[in-house]
Amino acid sequence: MLIYQLIGCVIGIIGLVISLLRFRDGKMSLNMLLVWTVIWVLLIVFSVYPTTTSLLSNITGIGRGLDIILIFGLIGCFYLIFKIYGMIETIEEEITLLTREIALNKKDNSGEKSDDEP
Amino acid sequence: MNSENGLFLEKYGKEIFIVMPAFNEAQTIEKVMGELIPKGLQLVVVDDGSNDKTYSIVKKVEKKYPEQVHLYRHPINRGLGAAILTGLEASLLANPMVIVTFDADGQHHVDDLLPMVKPIIRQDADVVIGTRNFHEMPLRKKFGNHVMNIITRIFYRINVGDSQSGLRAFSLNAAKIIELHSRDYGVSSEIIGEIQRKQLKLVEVPIETIYTDYSLSKGTDTKIGLKILAKLIKNIFK
Repeated sequence: MLIYQLIGCVIGIIGLVISLLRFRDGKMSLNMLLVWTVIWVLLIVFSVYPTTTSLLSNITGIGRGLDIILIFGLIGCFYLIFKIYGMIETIEEEITLLTREIALNKKDNSGEKSDDEP
Repeated sequence: MNSENGLFLEKYGKEIFIVMPAFNEAQTIEKVMGELIPKGLQLVVVDDGSNDKTYSIVKKVEKKYPEQVHLYRHPINRGLGAAILTGLEASLLANPMVIVTFDADGQHHVDDLLPMVKPIIRQDADVVIGTRNFHEMPLRKKFGNHVMNIITRIFYRINVGDSQSGLRAFSLNAAKIIELHSRDYGVSSEIIGEIQRKQLKLVEVPIETIYTDYSLSKGTDTKIGLKILAKLIKNIFK
């Protein structure tokens, strides 16, 4: 086994374990677990049997097996960044909304309290 | 003239709500409030998660003038846009005739308020923007503000003298219908954009700006200008 195969396997296994642990702790949804499991298993398969990538490259018509992995890897990364960016924006907006609601509600409540006071 | 203004304030003071967004303004806010309160105006202060004594200072003033001062607090800092929005929403509860945004850093002149409010009460305008004199502005501010004017013109197709001014007055109707999303300094350009989108009648009134080392350290300069530009470009792709 060549070194890159070993590294690929180790990273894949670590990734799988982390994903499973996060799912067990309720920090990851089932959907995301499936996506990540597919990614890590593919990484392990491609590391152990590098020739399988040639099969894919023949189907898609992209020159070499390694190229196809790099291309899909890059596209996948960009997609993930885009998705995460969108999620952060949404969360920021929601936090702002909550903050504003808290400010307005708190005032209402403190107003009621001071009305109760003599 | 002064007695005329006095009569005007006596008549309309309670109908004028001043929204004052404040983030770490402990140094100046008491003085600014002290100038506005004797005029009989209503003050809505939004403490945007300050980590200095802004909240306790304003709370103290609120206790002294409970009829005039209304303090709201964001538990965490969410930016100028969010604070203005909270202030507008809080003011709308009272259905005032005019809502004015006024910076808490002491850069605005209280005497500039009436010329801004009058066009709205006379129903000559829906929104009044106080235009600062760019010739008096320090260079780095001038550059940033010029760039922001150009950017606002490109993105919102409206030409205004000072797109980043913190002194603006809205009629009740205008305050109700404008929709703001920007959380930070981009809100100033967004307001200008909304004036155009909602076809509101805009009047620009020249105002004086008091430049101190303190007020200079706040507000739009080149760095913030670039940040706003990045944000506007981002908004296109949304």
